[in-house]
Amino acid sequence: MKVKNSVLLVLLILLVVVSICVTSGIGAVSISFPEVFDIIGYKLGIVSENAIDQRIAAVWTNIRFPRVLLSVLVGGALSYSGATMQGLFRNPLADPSIIGISLGAAAMAAITIVIIAPLMQAYQFFGLSILSVTTFVGAAGVALFIYRIARTNGKTSVSTMLLAGIAINAISGAITGILTYMADESQLRDLTFWTLGSLGGANYTNVIIVAIALTIALVMLLPETKSFNALALGEQEAKLIGTNTEKLKNKVIFTTALIVGVSVAFTGMIGFVGLVIPHIIRLAGGSDHRFVLPASLLGGALLLNVGDTIARTVIAPTELPIGIITSVVGAPTFLMLLLHRKKTLGI
Amino acid sequence: MKRIFSAVIALALFATACNSSSTKEKTAEENTLETAAQEQQYIVSLNGTLTEVLYALGKGDQIVGTDVTSVYPKETSELPKLGHVNHIQAEGIISLQPDVVYALENELSPELQEQLKSTGIELQLYPLDYSLEGAKNLINALGKSANAEEKASELIAKIDEDAAQLKTLENQPKALFIYARGVGNLLVAGENTQMDAMIKMAGAKNAAEGFEGFKPLTPEALVAANPDAIIMFDSGKHSVQSEEGTLSIPGIEETTAGKNNNIITMEGLYLAGFGPRVGSAMVELNNALANL
Repeated sequence: MKVKNSVLLVLLILLVVVSICVTSGIGAVSISFPEVFDIIGYKLGIVSENAIDQRIAAVWTNIRFPRVLLSVLVGGALSYSGATMQGLFRNPLADPSIIGISLGAAAMAAITIVIIAPLMQAYQFFGLSILSVTTFVGAAGVALFIYRIARTNGKTSVSTMLLAGIAINAISGAITGILTYMADESQLRDLTFWTLGSLGGANYTNVIIVAIALTIALVMLLPETKSFNALALGEQEAKLIGTNTEKLKNKVIFTTALIVGVSVAFTGMIGFVGLVIPHIIRLAGGSDHRFVLPASLLGGALLLNVGDTIARTVIAPTELPIGIITSVVGAPTFLMLLLHRKKTLGI
Repeated sequence: MKRIFSAVIALALFATACNSSSTKEKTAEENTLETAAQEQQYIVSLNGTLTEVLYALGKGDQIVGTDVTSVYPKETSELPKLGHVNHIQAEGIISLQPDVVYALENELSPELQEQLKSTGIELQLYPLDYSLEGAKNLINALGKSANAEEKASELIAKIDEDAAQLKTLENQPKALFIYARGVGNLLVAGENTQMDAMIKMAGAKNAAEGFEGFKPLTPEALVAANPDAIIMFDSGKHSVQSEEGTLSIPGIEETTAGKNNNIITMEGLYLAGFGPRVGSAMVELNNALANL
């Protein structure tokens, strides 16, 4: 890896750490930084109970901090899966939505909000909301279904996956459309807000589940960065130089289903992150996947963390849907980079 | 790469640590809550009808924030607005430092309920039935919870007094409620909606039958339903540019209501809120329908 890229990676890690520290001190309830340290100290047993305001401590530990962590993890997951999808499809427009994952999850969300939820007595399912469980099933189910369709004689055709994805998107759109028609007013609003995404439901159960999923994805794919580089030459060429492309495809589909599934389940649809962050990263440091994959992970984490902090503070005490912020913050940055680096654009 | 692994694992471990310790503090919070309940409480109200009832009960000065549907009385416009109840963030509510949050059942997401409870804020959730009884029960329940039972009985008596003026409409006119959000975006109120209930209470028939909830209506179905009167909210009429706009909705001109220009407009929360003004709204609609 180039020295410049190593420096960029270290810089990104530092930025993410600083961002977590700063954003966990910002919010609608004003909590000063000394108070944050007192709360952490209290949780670790260093500071005595009398030194802190219990309600403020509860806000920070139960509401704000899990939300900050979830934004970092989900941002990283979405951007990372986008980078791996672009690597696999060798297509700059690829992101998890291109094989139908996002709209498949949206169709499941519509089915759940309009049909399943009114039938259920309890809203919880092993401590998770039914909506989280079903949207995860929708996202992961679509990914595996498409993979199954595209697989013949032990080989997966990437172009079949893309075409099947278009069909799944159409079917999901139709299902969502029918259910939108059937929905009553409050269900309609639930659905609309779900498609705009929100990190407001964050708690430690969500955070731990996303962290585990992301760890699995990193363990499976970070050692494969050289295979991604080989694949960039073309599938035949990659095979000729000894890359097991089938194994790589399996891994990418599995990890995408897993991490996009859990992200969508807990935060709804958050667009843009998976598509644009990897491009920004490539414009900044080239398309070596040893750099692109980890840097996309960090860049996505940074964007969603900062974006969500803006979403929950800019019009406090209420909040903006996060999908709006990610587009408003990310798109101009992307355009600027594009203008600046037009000539050297290498995808 | 190792740095990233260890960072992720460290995050997960830290999260677990916070999670296990957060359960302990709840009992302490509950104790402080009970003592606070004796004193003057600050209120956040997340529904237009609940806000209206609380104001009518004389608790307006204790309200520190509301949702976007709380538009009556006009003092509410000076309060911080927390957005739509489906998309409210816990920190926003907590930043207003309420002791108690009033909301309708089913309107508050389980996640938000959990978050509010974990900070020791009391939740008061109520059902709202679309009937005179429903409104009276709600006022009664809120009166008890806000220590204003006397005032609540007065409000209930006022509803009964208003409702006594209801006239029987011999011809049972057919009324259609149109929820207009711009020309070309018109929904009508079918069965099981607050407007269906209100039309029936006012002595008329709902022209939209055979489906539930709010649905878009085709011009042909509109003509087939042939309502004698069209009911709209003030805000809805505005969105289709006044009366001419309403009359230019395809199909309306062919109906009895369109031919005779029978368009009744009333304020949304007044007509469909089922709060303290429910009796008077019902009678006003009844009168308007009687004078067609």
